[in-house]
Amino acid sequence: MATIFTVDPRSGIPLYVQLMDQIKRAIALGALSPGEQLPTVKALALELTINPNTVARVYRELERDGVIETSPGRGSFVRGDGLTGNDGRRVADDVAQHSLTDAIREARSLGLGRRDVEAIVQRLLDRWYPPNDVLENS
Amino acid sequence: MNTIISIGDLSKRYGDFAAVSNLTLDVTEGSICGLLGPNGAGKTTTFKCLLGFTRPTSGRILLDGKPLEPATFERLSYVPERSSLYGWMTIDQHLELHRRSFEHYDDARARDLLSTFDLDPRKRVQRLSKGQQTAVSLVLAFSTRPKILILDEPASGLDPIFQRFVIDLMIDASANGATVLFSSHQITQVERAADRVAILKKGRLVLDAEVDALKSDEKVVEAVFDHTVPGLDVIANDVRVRRFERSGRIVRAYVHTDAGEIMRRLVEFGPRSVNILDLNLEDIFLNAVEAGRATTTEKP
Repeated sequence: MATIFTVDPRSGIPLYVQLMDQIKRAIALGALSPGEQLPTVKALALELTINPNTVARVYRELERDGVIETSPGRGSFVRGDGLTGNDGRRVADDVAQHSLTDAIREARSLGLGRRDVEAIVQRLLDRWYPPNDVLENS
Repeated sequence: MNTIISIGDLSKRYGDFAAVSNLTLDVTEGSICGLLGPNGAGKTTTFKCLLGFTRPTSGRILLDGKPLEPATFERLSYVPERSSLYGWMTIDQHLELHRRSFEHYDDARARDLLSTFDLDPRKRVQRLSKGQQTAVSLVLAFSTRPKILILDEPASGLDPIFQRFVIDLMIDASANGATVLFSSHQITQVERAADRVAILKKGRLVLDAEVDALKSDEKVVEAVFDHTVPGLDVIANDVRVRRFERSGRIVRAYVHTDAGEIMRRLVEFGPRSVNILDLNLEDIFLNAVEAGRATTTEKP
């Protein structure tokens, strides 16, 4: 399987955080389907040229979070029934929360007050979730 | 996790010169530990002590739980910084020597690696470039399926493609359970391959931590003020602050832990803005070598 993940070892963000986010994002976006097999730790480490223990840690944490499941001898698989299921929904929440946290932290560091940020969020919500939008109330 | 390479309170003096002082470093099974440090920091001396080439002034070394003994070398591979091959022998003859010396020597693996490094086995070592000699040393080191690999600047003299291949070899070995300790001047290699990094400065360990834990903990808290504020010395003197910089109205605190708390303390001085910035391994290395304050973070 050609890898759909990319990590940047030169970044200040820990590699395991980068890889975990990428796998969660791939699941949330449907690039990895429920039941789909993930590469082995060794294969993914060699593919991305990163330390195997880092990959193993990501798999352990994803398993603990209920995102993937590993059966000895068979490999690791994406769990749950995708975006419609609770697991998939939680993965999507995680990914979105991560991005929003960065944005809000940035706004705060620029000296914006809570009200200012709330106004921005409201404007953006109106833009991306127009009235009668299919996802409006889901 | 078993500790495979254990260095305890190691010191090596040459006359008045302390090459290594009170170095304690443990590398667990399957780990890749990158040893960084400026020239003369004591990396090669540490390796020589590990391999018994030179006798430590004091301290203890255990490999796979035992002091160095002849049997240790069956499953240990060492690639020195300067090639220690026989110039008059061909590459083929070196393989033959390894076949006779190492029970676990794998000829198919050696031939495979030779072709990857684009080496002609019929060539005499003295006809090879420095980079090619390094490559031969690496082929020999990885052809015996070692449990312990000690590599001193393993990518020196190699072109970028072969450098990447050396990293692949370490990753492959680690995934198969081998324990790797390597030194490098190229921080990006350590950043990719290593899960653990140790930084030496003037023979002393100034930092020893998991690479990912370091990146989580080591941050810069940057604050911009409208005017100069007095009293920031309390932040500069905080034990969590590795280095403190002031340039005009911008203040930067390089912290090795608790960035959020330092940020809150800076906010009390009423900055226009304050932000936490990530550091990559190169920044962290330079901070550690410049400041030299010892820190250790443990595995979670």
